[in-house]
Amino acid sequence: MFQKLIEESTGKSPWLFHINAGSCNGCDIELVSVLTPRYDAERLGFKLAGSPRHADIVVVTGPITAQSLPRVLRSIEQVPEPRCIVTMGSCPQSGNVFRGSYSICGPLSKYVHVDVDVAGCTPKPEAVIDGLALAARILQEKRRAKK
Amino acid sequence: MDFPFVKEAISQLFSKPSCAMYPAVESVAAPRYRGRIAFDPTKCINCMMCERVCCGGAITHTVEKTEEGDRITRSFNLGCCTFCAHCMDFCNHGAIELTQDYHMIATKEEDLIVSGTFLKKPPVKKPVPPKAPAAPAAPKETKAEPGASGSDLERQKGEADVKSSPKAETERSAPVLPRDDGKPVQDPAKCIYCTICARKCPAGALTVDRAAKTWALDEDACVACGTCASVCPKKAILM
Amino acid sequence: MILDALKYLAYVLIFPGFLFCFLTGMLLCGIDRKLVARMQKRVGPPILQPFYDFFKLCGKETIVPDAANRTVFLLAPLVGLAALVVLQLFIPVFSFTAFSNVADIIVILYLLLIPALSIMVGGASTGSPYAGVGLSREMVTVLSCELPLVLVLLAVGKKVGAATGSGLCFSLTEIVRYQMAHGSLIGNLSMIPAAVAFLMVIPGETGSHPFDAAEAETEICEGMLAEYSGAPLGVFKLNHAIKLLTLTSMFVMLFLGGIGGGIQNLVYTMGLSGGLAGALITLLNVAVLFALCVAVTVVTISFVHAVTARLKIEQIFKFYWTVVSALALISLVLAWYGL
Repeated sequence: MFQKLIEESTGKSPWLFHINAGSCNGCDIELVSVLTPRYDAERLGFKLAGSPRHADIVVVTGPITAQSLPRVLRSIEQVPEPRCIVTMGSCPQSGNVFRGSYSICGPLSKYVHVDVDVAGCTPKPEAVIDGLALAARILQEKRRAKK
Repeated sequence: MDFPFVKEAISQLFSKPSCAMYPAVESVAAPRYRGRIAFDPTKCINCMMCERVCCGGAITHTVEKTEEGDRITRSFNLGCCTFCAHCMDFCNHGAIELTQDYHMIATKEEDLIVSGTFLKKPPVKKPVPPKAPAAPAAPKETKAEPGASGSDLERQKGEADVKSSPKAETERSAPVLPRDDGKPVQDPAKCIYCTICARKCPAGALTVDRAAKTWALDEDACVACGTCASVCPKKAILM
Repeated sequence: MILDALKYLAYVLIFPGFLFCFLTGMLLCGIDRKLVARMQKRVGPPILQPFYDFFKLCGKETIVPDAANRTVFLLAPLVGLAALVVLQLFIPVFSFTAFSNVADIIVILYLLLIPALSIMVGGASTGSPYAGVGLSREMVTVLSCELPLVLVLLAVGKKVGAATGSGLCFSLTEIVRYQMAHGSLIGNLSMIPAAVAFLMVIPGETGSHPFDAAEAETEICEGMLAEYSGAPLGVFKLNHAIKLLTLTSMFVMLFLGGIGGGIQNLVYTMGLSGGLAGALITLLNVAVLFALCVAVTVVTISFVHAVTARLKIEQIFKFYWTVVSALALISLVLAWYGL
């Protein structure tokens, strides 16, 4: 029963950790707007965590610059299992307009397994909520598989 | 100490929250929102203008040669797109449209690719050579045009000068007619050899020499997209 | 003998102890989060959200940093939890007390320090710089809250002691019994400044807005909790929730204890007696206590959270040692002169 409780709760309280990997700040602002009174992701249990150790979902924005790459990977490693990685916007998926630059190491999927891609430049807050809800479902499945 | 939000907090406690209850209540994007790309392959003529103007490099195509012609698959990678709508604006045939759909969530990269396949038949004129009487028209025009104007200086002064010259008047008496295969024709009386059409041509089919005042069309490369006609500042190209 | 032992075990594990603390503390926390959200024009999380958070954290991987002392790192949250559960045993529920003693207020004062100490020790054992900054801030916050808290308890003790003729009264049970006979202390003019001071101490002791400089998640990654993950983090969150319950129920017992007398009279006038009356009284006591705790939480934690911004650490110190201490001192002086 305790396992069942944990499994149920895992999908209902996903905490977010946001990594800016050289983003233009557009996606960062849209992600924060998801937590504002207008969209209020907290009603679905989402909360912005201060430390990667507390997080369940890692949201990466930006095209993964050479400077940020080792930090991004280290931060992601510090997130305890089960975890879910969400890329937000086009940049971490492909590099977008920065593609081919000497200082871009993306896409992120070259280095870690990305669970959910939220496309858009920047995505609408509704799309971000969709993506995070999907990530929460994936978290629950991961927990179920781990048991 | 000063608490400016005391009244606000208490009044909000007893009033309705201002949340958009998104997953429960569907929300529609604003009109002319630039979301998921819709591609109509039946309208596409493979002019490649969209691929040229795409700043993210999101548009690619693959060509598969078959007996009937080339099967061209044009794909739009939404994971690389900036949703600037340049492709939509530049498409002369309205094959690309950015819809209001913003639900672009994917667990696999393939989910974010919009693509369409169409068959491009080989040029009709090749199997039917007599259908190309229009083809010599282009060299004729280029040959005719040195006589159309007096000197370089006179030409640069503009159209008004050309009209005033009697030679130009005679030239205009034989009007340039649009070709029936949809490819561009130059009207030497109007052309100022600015080379904009050559620069804008997505297929690189036009060669314009400013000094020699020649305008040449590569019949095989031309895809009849109409870009040259729409960019011409003097409306000197007929389609 | 065995029955006694079983009774005490039930006290520790179920009623005023662990299970009661867990359920009510988490509920208080959930109500607080919901109300803060409503005051900010949001819908807010479900009231059961703290339970979800806790169970989710139980299912997460626990990462122990290489630099940390493993034993201290993992034991610290449990020590804090144990201290809080024991602390709750000493706080009476109106007429019901699990353990009563002549000087339980002094025990409470010391036990109240242990959760704060455990979080500091746990954070310090990780060697994280964020924990270091958080630790120093937590230390200052605890120090600044301690002075007004002691002054408030002294004022209440003197007031009750003077009335019962025992000098200074250091027994919470005694204080509640006095109030049940003579009406709540808050009805006393000289005790109002002390009550206000205690209300101001509650957010500082629990580390909530605007006194949460020690756990500022945007600046120092939640300070001492930065390296915690999984179940130990969940226990720390639980500790925070229980601390809410402890402090609010302490306020209720110190200043609103007279309501217990009202409940007793109500049950007796209904014509009940014996075991049934006792059970009904206990049940009503718990219900009323919880309702009052919610009310106190709403006023001191949720409302204050919604209308203020985080203070700097020296502002916290200054606030507690001037405004709040002065209020408590006024009460103490008034009580000393028998007002």
